[in-house]
Amino acid sequence: MTNRDMAAKIAGGWSDAEAVPRFHNQIEVTCGNPDTIAGMLHYIQSLGFEHMSNLTCVDWLEENRFDVTYNLWSYKYKIQATVKAGIDRGEPKIPTVMDVWPQAQAYEQEIHEMFGVDFIGNPDLSSLFLHNWKDIPPLRKDFDTEAYSKEAYGAQRNKEV
Amino acid sequence: MLKISREEIIDGKFERVLNFFRSRSLWMLYYCTGCGAVELPPTMTSRFDMERFGISPMATPRQADILLVTGYVSVKTLKRIVYSYEQMPEPKWVVGFGSCPVNGGIYWNSYATINQLDKYIPVDISIPGCMPRPQAVIDGLLSLMDSIKKGEAVGYKKYRMNNDWYKKNQREILERTKPVLGGKK
Repeated sequence: MTNRDMAAKIAGGWSDAEAVPRFHNQIEVTCGNPDTIAGMLHYIQSLGFEHMSNLTCVDWLEENRFDVTYNLWSYKYKIQATVKAGIDRGEPKIPTVMDVWPQAQAYEQEIHEMFGVDFIGNPDLSSLFLHNWKDIPPLRKDFDTEAYSKEAYGAQRNKEV
Repeated sequence: MLKISREEIIDGKFERVLNFFRSRSLWMLYYCTGCGAVELPPTMTSRFDMERFGISPMATPRQADILLVTGYVSVKTLKRIVYSYEQMPEPKWVVGFGSCPVNGGIYWNSYATINQLDKYIPVDISIPGCMPRPQAVIDGLLSLMDSIKKGEAVGYKKYRMNNDWYKKNQREILERTKPVLGGKK
């Protein structure tokens, strides 16, 4: 099965999914309704994408949107799928996909810490890497890491030569 | 700032006799926080052979003389470094390895790494470089041995006498109660 066939199959089977074949063996799937992300990923998993290799988040500051991005891999068809779910940046909430892939728990915990996305249904969203963090989540684009470092640790910029 | 300067607490004559023997047998606790750890195996093994100067690795802080901080120090790591340092018996020395403990190195504007290790524990000698070659490491450790012999490497006394100042700096980082930039969580 080529990526073109698989994209057509995904878009045909789930009404909110918009699947575009990219080059070689890649598919980009956009989720129209983030509230149904778990059901959609369960459907995509049943088509042969049994492996979730990564779960990450992209901050689009100008468009006021977070793209929660799931990277899936099919061992059977050798196709890589990128599933994106755009959520509102002001109130970032999305259901957990722990029921589909249990290992998503730790990824979601990290994204909650670094971007402040709330994963509804994830039992443990405690701090993972940061120690006693009080500011806005550090990987958001509007977080000024240099100003933070200057203020918190007394960093100094060297003179430009 | 520091109340007592380095010159005021230099070791006396009796201490210097002891220091001569101390400087020839240094057990090193290497706290491999960052990338600097890759330069230690060649320094320890046969090509550069640190042990000919009497410096060898030690597994526990309770039996070590030198704390080697190799690389960047994140806030979580700083807490562990302070634990390890306070567990070590005196006399003890700290070596800042690479540019990161000096001024943050290439991670100077990161939100996660501290910039100056010297503000939180007393660093006796810094080996600059990113990363320092084994020759530089050996040169730095020999300089440390020299300053121990001269009685100038007294960071542990500095820590004891200015404990309030160091503890205040540590608390500022580790027990932060309000946001630094004033944003909401």
